[in-house]
Amino acid sequence: MLAIEVDSLSKTYTSGLFRRERVEALTAFSVAVESGQIFSLLGPNGAGKTTFIKIILSLTHATSGAASILGQRLPNTAIRSRVGYLPESHRFPGYLTGEQVLRFFGRLSGVSSADLALRIPPLLELAGIAQWRGMKVKKYSKGMMQRLGLAQALLNEPDILFLDEPTDGVDPVGRKEIRDILKELKSRGKTIFLNSHLLSEVELVSDRVAILDKGRLLRVGTVDELTTGGSQYSIGFSGQLPAAAEVEAHAMVMNFTVTGDTIRAECTTTAELNRIIDLLRKHGVEIASITRQRNTLEESFISLIKREVAP
Amino acid sequence: MKILALILGTGRELAAKATVYVLLAISTIVLLGVLVSVSSSSTAEGKTLMLFGNTVSPPSSDEMFSDIVSKMEATLAGGLFFGISLFGMFATAGVITDALDKGTVDLYLSKPIARWELLFGKYLGGVAVILVNIVYFIGALWLIVGMKTGVWNVSFLVASVLMTFVFACLYAIVTYVGVVSRNTAIAIIGGFVYLFIVAELLQSRERGLYLLGDNTFYRGAVDGLYYLLPQLPAMQATAFKYIGGNSLDWRPFAQSFLSACGFFGLAAWTLEKTDF
Repeated sequence: MLAIEVDSLSKTYTSGLFRRERVEALTAFSVAVESGQIFSLLGPNGAGKTTFIKIILSLTHATSGAASILGQRLPNTAIRSRVGYLPESHRFPGYLTGEQVLRFFGRLSGVSSADLALRIPPLLELAGIAQWRGMKVKKYSKGMMQRLGLAQALLNEPDILFLDEPTDGVDPVGRKEIRDILKELKSRGKTIFLNSHLLSEVELVSDRVAILDKGRLLRVGTVDELTTGGSQYSIGFSGQLPAAAEVEAHAMVMNFTVTGDTIRAECTTTAELNRIIDLLRKHGVEIASITRQRNTLEESFISLIKREVAP
Repeated sequence: MKILALILGTGRELAAKATVYVLLAISTIVLLGVLVSVSSSSTAEGKTLMLFGNTVSPPSSDEMFSDIVSKMEATLAGGLFFGISLFGMFATAGVITDALDKGTVDLYLSKPIARWELLFGKYLGGVAVILVNIVYFIGALWLIVGMKTGVWNVSFLVASVLMTFVFACLYAIVTYVGVVSRNTAIAIIGGFVYLFIVAELLQSRERGLYLLGDNTFYRGAVDGLYYLLPQLPAMQATAFKYIGGNSLDWRPFAQSFLSACGFFGLAAWTLEKTDF
């Protein structure tokens, strides 16, 4: 079942005199997120990630296109009782304590007082702020605010969780704890939609990733699909590589470099790779290993964004 | 339940602000002043009202004495309304605009609550806090004056509801300006401009605005505005007359209710169209 389904969603912000200045925040963005997945949206600042979440949560109106969550066409106020949201820069009322914040937003989520009494203590424990439950929120650090924000997003036991930069301001230990919470929620069948700049973290938890730039979807796929180099191969060999073989190989593929007993070759097709292997074998080179190169998500992301920027 | 949570949350928000306590403190000082200064004495010639032990009214029959006390209550209620308008707007204008701040509105609107419900809950919360302040002042004043003079003017108690209603009409305008501008200072200025300039000019239009032109269209437009916008001075005057023993004229209240609903509706519509 699809948790989120978006079809050609576009958003144009207008401003200035007679609204003549236009910014395309999202352009024909389509995506489908299966239930029970951790789906991450990546993109540089201003890519349209937060705009997308805001449209889904009806904070912003789409210019065109359609979206649905949990099978319900948006906008839909009632469906938000099954959704949890941690905004990027949230501001809780500073005069309330952590526990009071949860009770207040829990009531707004439609959770009964009896259920709140049962849910709040374990959520404070889960978020790691139980010892500060009675402290006024204005005294909380950024990391504590994020943890409280996460607890707040989980109060109504949502089926879908939207997290915008959830580890912003959180220390490395806290980030690991948040990752563990996300994995635990996923194991309970929750769908998690994540916006984050911390690509290494996204790589660790996400099932699928979409890359967005200037409001346009560049790529979507599993972390494996996005990080596999595709055209980069590493060929290990033993012995000496004849100079003639190197010269011929340079003429056959775009990039061909030799470092010690390892060749790095960029082959756009499998046939090209096989031609290189045939060439090496023809020159008597003994091949020890062939490995397809795997990038980090960060490398893939940067290369994709650079390719878009390049004229 | 959600609107109730918003009302209670707004009460808590305002309780955390100093402005409400300033209003309460001023009310308490006035009440203490009345408690200390007001007394009455009965002689064979009639009852007299005394301030700090000095007679301030001639000996009067019970009926006339009751009338004098009611007028004193009306004067104090007028002062209270001025204080409520001044401090009440300062205290409550931020309730609307703060809720629409980036980071706060995201949290509110991600909950299963419609935008108009958010606005309505916040609006009612602001009005409820003012009602508590007015009831505190009027109720305590009613008790003190009743005990000191033996005059138990029920109309004075009812006036607390009327004064809250006048504030609610004014607050509908502050809410609309707050939603449009998303700026507390502008919302307060909007409220003051309406209360002290626009409403007064329209109320006394025959002695002011009419003199600027005598064509039918212009005067019709001025009259139209008068009947379209909340009639705050007319409601205040009616409430004070009611405290003084006159019967209540409901017309300015009914007209202002419709007008306030219009302003609130405009605010809700504007909020509905806003992108956050």
